[in-house]
Amino acid sequence: MRKWLTTLLVLILVIALAACSDNESSSGSDQTAKDSKGKTTLRFATWDSGEALKIQEEIAKKFEEKNSNVKVQVEAYGDGFDQKLAASFGAKNPPDVMYMWNFPAYFQSLEPLDNFVKSDPEMDMDDFYQGLFNYSSMYGKVYGMPAGFTTRVVYYNKDLFDAAGVPYPKDGWTWDDFKAAAKKLSDPAKKQYGFGVRPEPDTYDLQGFVWSNGSSFISEDGKKINGYMNSPETIESIKIFGDMVKDKSAVLVGGKNQQSGDDIFKAGKLAMWESGIWPLEGFKEAKVNFGTVEMPAFKGKPVKGVIASSAVSVAKDSKNKKLAWEFVKFYSSAEAIKMRTADLPVRISVVKEMKTEQDPLISPFYKMLERSNDTPAFLLNKNWDEINRNLSAAINAVMLGQDADKLMDKAVKDSEKYVGQ
Amino acid sequence: MKPVYAAAAPVETIKKTKKRWDIIVPLLFIAPWIIGFLAFTLGPLLYSLFISFFDWPIVGEAKFIGLDNYKTMFTEDPLFWESLGVTVKFAALFVPLNIITALFLAILLNQKVKGYSFFRTFFYLPSVISGVALAMIWAWVYNGEYGILNYFLSLIGVKGPDWLNDPNWALIAMVIASLWGQGTMMLIFLAGLKAIPGELYEAASIDGANKIQQFFKITIPMLTPTILFNLITTIISAFQQLTLALVLTGGGPLKSTYFYAMYVYENAFKYFKMGYSSANAWFMFVIVLVLTLIVFKSSSAWVYYEGEVKNK
Amino acid sequence: MKTKRRIEKSTIYILLIFFSLLFLAPFFWMLSTSVKSPEELYLFPPKWIPSTFEWSNFKEAWMSQPFNQFFMNTVIVTGMSTIGQLLSSSLVAYGFARFKFKGRDFLFIVLLSSMMIPWEVTMIPQYMEFNYLGWINTLKPLFVPSWFGAPFYIFLMRQFIMSIPKELDEAARMDGANPFQIYYKIYLPLMKPSLILVAVFNILTCWNDYLGPLVFLNDQSKYTLTLGLAQFKGMFGVDMEGIMAVTFLISIPPLILFFFAQRYIVEDNSRSGVKG
Repeated sequence: MRKWLTTLLVLILVIALAACSDNESSSGSDQTAKDSKGKTTLRFATWDSGEALKIQEEIAKKFEEKNSNVKVQVEAYGDGFDQKLAASFGAKNPPDVMYMWNFPAYFQSLEPLDNFVKSDPEMDMDDFYQGLFNYSSMYGKVYGMPAGFTTRVVYYNKDLFDAAGVPYPKDGWTWDDFKAAAKKLSDPAKKQYGFGVRPEPDTYDLQGFVWSNGSSFISEDGKKINGYMNSPETIESIKIFGDMVKDKSAVLVGGKNQQSGDDIFKAGKLAMWESGIWPLEGFKEAKVNFGTVEMPAFKGKPVKGVIASSAVSVAKDSKNKKLAWEFVKFYSSAEAIKMRTADLPVRISVVKEMKTEQDPLISPFYKMLERSNDTPAFLLNKNWDEINRNLSAAINAVMLGQDADKLMDKAVKDSEKYVGQ
Repeated sequence: MKPVYAAAAPVETIKKTKKRWDIIVPLLFIAPWIIGFLAFTLGPLLYSLFISFFDWPIVGEAKFIGLDNYKTMFTEDPLFWESLGVTVKFAALFVPLNIITALFLAILLNQKVKGYSFFRTFFYLPSVISGVALAMIWAWVYNGEYGILNYFLSLIGVKGPDWLNDPNWALIAMVIASLWGQGTMMLIFLAGLKAIPGELYEAASIDGANKIQQFFKITIPMLTPTILFNLITTIISAFQQLTLALVLTGGGPLKSTYFYAMYVYENAFKYFKMGYSSANAWFMFVIVLVLTLIVFKSSSAWVYYEGEVKNK
Repeated sequence: MKTKRRIEKSTIYILLIFFSLLFLAPFFWMLSTSVKSPEELYLFPPKWIPSTFEWSNFKEAWMSQPFNQFFMNTVIVTGMSTIGQLLSSSLVAYGFARFKFKGRDFLFIVLLSSMMIPWEVTMIPQYMEFNYLGWINTLKPLFVPSWFGAPFYIFLMRQFIMSIPKELDEAARMDGANPFQIYYKIYLPLMKPSLILVAVFNILTCWNDYLGPLVFLNDQSKYTLTLGLAQFKGMFGVDMEGIMAVTFLISIPPLILFFFAQRYIVEDNSRSGVKG
C-alpha cells in the first residue's frame, strides 16, 4: 500500500512540475499581450455558453484569419461574469473587449467609441436598429456596439390549446383574452396551468407591461417615482399575475436555477409562457408544438415592449484599443451577425437579406421591437439599483399575493431618498 | 555534542539558550503558516479593512469617507439588520442540528456491520456533488407543484408547502439542504469515534455501565476535542453560508433567505460598492470572532485533551 | 438477550439503508437525467428509469469541450495543493499542539480568525497581488497558498494531536530525539487517519473549487473541470443534461478515491497499537 501511494505521489509531483515549468514560459505573455510567436493576444470576455459560445469562438477565428498576427482569446465567464469582471477591473487587468449590457454600472471604465466611429468611413451606423443605441449609450456617448438583442413575446403550447378547444392567441389580443384563456387552460388536478409566474421577476422585464398600461416606474426625466411606481396603472399591470396565481389559472415557477418556467413549458404543463428568444431553440429540441405571439394589450392602449440588448465594448485600460475596435467592428459587421443564430440580428440589411422577419415564430419579436421605444428606468436614474432593491422586494410580495397598493407605496417611500441624488 | 556544550557553558547561558530554543523550535514548526499568512492573507485582509473607509465603486476611483460606511450600515440600511437576522436564525438552527446529525450518522457508521465501506461511501456521496448540479437537485426536490418531496408527501396524504416560495418554509428548506451535505463533519466525528480506545468501553461494561451511560461517560468526553472543532468551524461556516441561497433562492421569497453573506456578496458584485461591502464583512468578522473566542475560552472547562491530562 | 441483539442489529441496518437511499436518490436522478432523451427530461411525475438510455449523452457532453485538458489541469492543481497541504498543515498543527510558548494562543486565534473574513472582500486585493506576481492565468494561485497550510486543516490536526497521550514523546525525548524527529518518527505515523482525512477534504475542495479558477484563470487551455462545467450555464440559459452528465462523470474519481481511503481514516490502530 505504502509503495503504491509513494509511486502515485511521485507521479503527481513529476506531472505537476512539468506543467509548472510549462506555465512559466507562457505566464509572462498574458501581461504583455504578445506571445512567443509575436502574435498579439486580444482578450474577449463573454457571458454566453453552449451553442452561443461556439458561434462566438467561430467569429473570433474568422477575425484571426483576417488578421494573421492576432490571437483572440475567448474567455467565457458564464454566470460568474460580473464577479470576474469586477475583479479584473478592480485590479486594472480587464479583458480588451467584452460583452456588456449594464452600462450604468460599467461605463466609467469603458472606452467611448464615438471617435472610432467618426474616423472610420466603413462604419454604417444607419444600418442598425436605432433604438438599440439607447441601451449602449450614456450621457450622449456610445460605449458599445450592438451585437444582438431580443424582445419578449408570449409562447403558447398549441397542443394544450387544441385539447382545451381554445383558439390560438392572435396579435392584438388583450389581457382579458389572456386571462380568460389561462383560466380555461388550467387544470390543477393535472398540474397543468395557463401561465407561469416568476415570483421574483427582474423588474426590468416587467416594464413592458407597465408601459403598455400607460405608466412607468419612474418619470421620463428620472426625477420622480411617486405617482409612477405606485400609480394605479402600474399596480394594475403587476397585480394581474399575483391574482392569477391566487385563482389557480397560473402557477409560481422557480428562479433561475430552480425548475424554471422554461422547463415546465417543455414538460407540457404550461399553456403560455412569457420570455425572450433564449428558450426558443430548446423548445424546438424538446419537440414542443408551440407558437409565439405579441404581448397582450390593455384595452384601448398600445402595446409596449422592452428590449434586452447585448453590446460589445472596449475597456478603457486596454493596451490594444485600436485592435480592440477592429474586433468590435468585425463583431458587429454583417458577416459576423449572420453567423449568430442564438439571438436576433441587429442590422436591418441582414434581417432583410435573411428574411428573418418572415419566420412566423420570429416575426412577433420584430413586431415587439417596433413597440419598444420607451427608455428603461435604469438608464434614467443613476441610483436605480438602490430604488430597484425596494421595488423588487415589493413586487416579490405582490406575486406571492400580498396587498399591492400598500407595498408599492412603501417601496416609493423607502426609495424617495435615492431619487433626488 | 550536547554534553560537551553543557559542560563548557556557564549554567546561565544554558538556561538562556534553552529559553531561546524554546521559542525558536515551535516557531520553526509554525513558520510555514506564518510565512503564508504574511504573504497571501494579511495583505488582502488589511486592504479590505482599509477600503472599508472608502467609497469604492470598483470601476472608478476610491474616495475616502471615514466611518460613513459603518454609519450607513447601522443607521440607514434596513437590509443590514434584516440579513443579519436571517443569518442568526439560520445559525441558531443549523449549528446544533448539524452537530447532532453529523454525530448521529457517524455513530451509525461506526457500528460493526457488513458492507460498511459502501455505507460510508453512500453517506459521503452528497458532499461530493457541488455547484449548479446541487442547486438543480434541490430545485427538483423542493418545487411545490412538481417537486419530488411533495410528491412523496402526497403519497402519505400530506400536502407539502411550496418550499422555496413560502417565506415560512424557505429558510427551513435551506437548513435541511445544508444538513444533507454535512459529510465533512460526519467524517471528522467518525475519525474521532474510532480514536477512542476500545479498552475504555470494555472496562465500563465490566463495571456494569449500559450503552447510554457509556455514551455520556466515555464517548462524549472523549469526543470533546472533535466537538470543539466542529462547533467552531460550523459557526464560521454558518455565518458565511451563501452558495445555496445564491444559486437556489436568490435570497427570497420576501428576503427570508437573504443571508448576511449574500448581502455582502450583492453589495460587492451586484451593486459594486466594494468599500461598503468590506465594512459589512468586517462587522461580521467581529461577531464571529467574539463567538469563537467565547467558545474557545470556555473550552478549557469542557474539552478533555488526553495529551493535556497531568495526573492520570 | 439474543432477540434484543437481533432487534438492535436490524434497526441499525434499516437506518443505514434508509439514509443510504436518501443520499443515493439524487445521485440516481442525476444519472437518469443524464441519459434521458430531451422529451422525457421534464415529465411529471418524474420518470425514474428512462424508456431509452442515451448513453451517448455522456460522450457528447464530455466532448463538447476540451474536458480531457480540464481534467489534467484539475489533477495538477489538486495534486500539488494536497501534497503541500499535508506537509505544512501537519507541521504547523504539531507546533501549535505540542509546544507552549509566548503568544501561542494569540497566534492561534489569528489563525482561526483568518477563516472568518469572507473571500468576497479579499478577492480583489488578492487578485491584485497575484497579478503583480504575474500569476494570473496560471495555475499557481490555486495551489501555492496551500503549501503554507490552511487554518481548517491545521485546527483539525491540532485537535487530533492534542488527544494523543504525551508520555510518548517524553519517552522519545529521553532517548535523545530532537523535536523534529519526534514529529517525524512518532507523530506522523500516528496521524495517518487525520492526514488521510485532510487529504480527502483537500482533494474534494480543489476538485470542486469554482470561484478560484473563475477569478484567476482566463485562457480556456488552463481551465479546471468546474469551469468547464460552468460553460453549460450562461447568463440566459442552462444545458441541464450537460451539467448532469459532466457532474456525474467528474464526481466519480473523488468517490473512488474516497472508497479506498475511508478505511484508513477509521483505522482502529490509532493508539492502542502504539501504546505498548
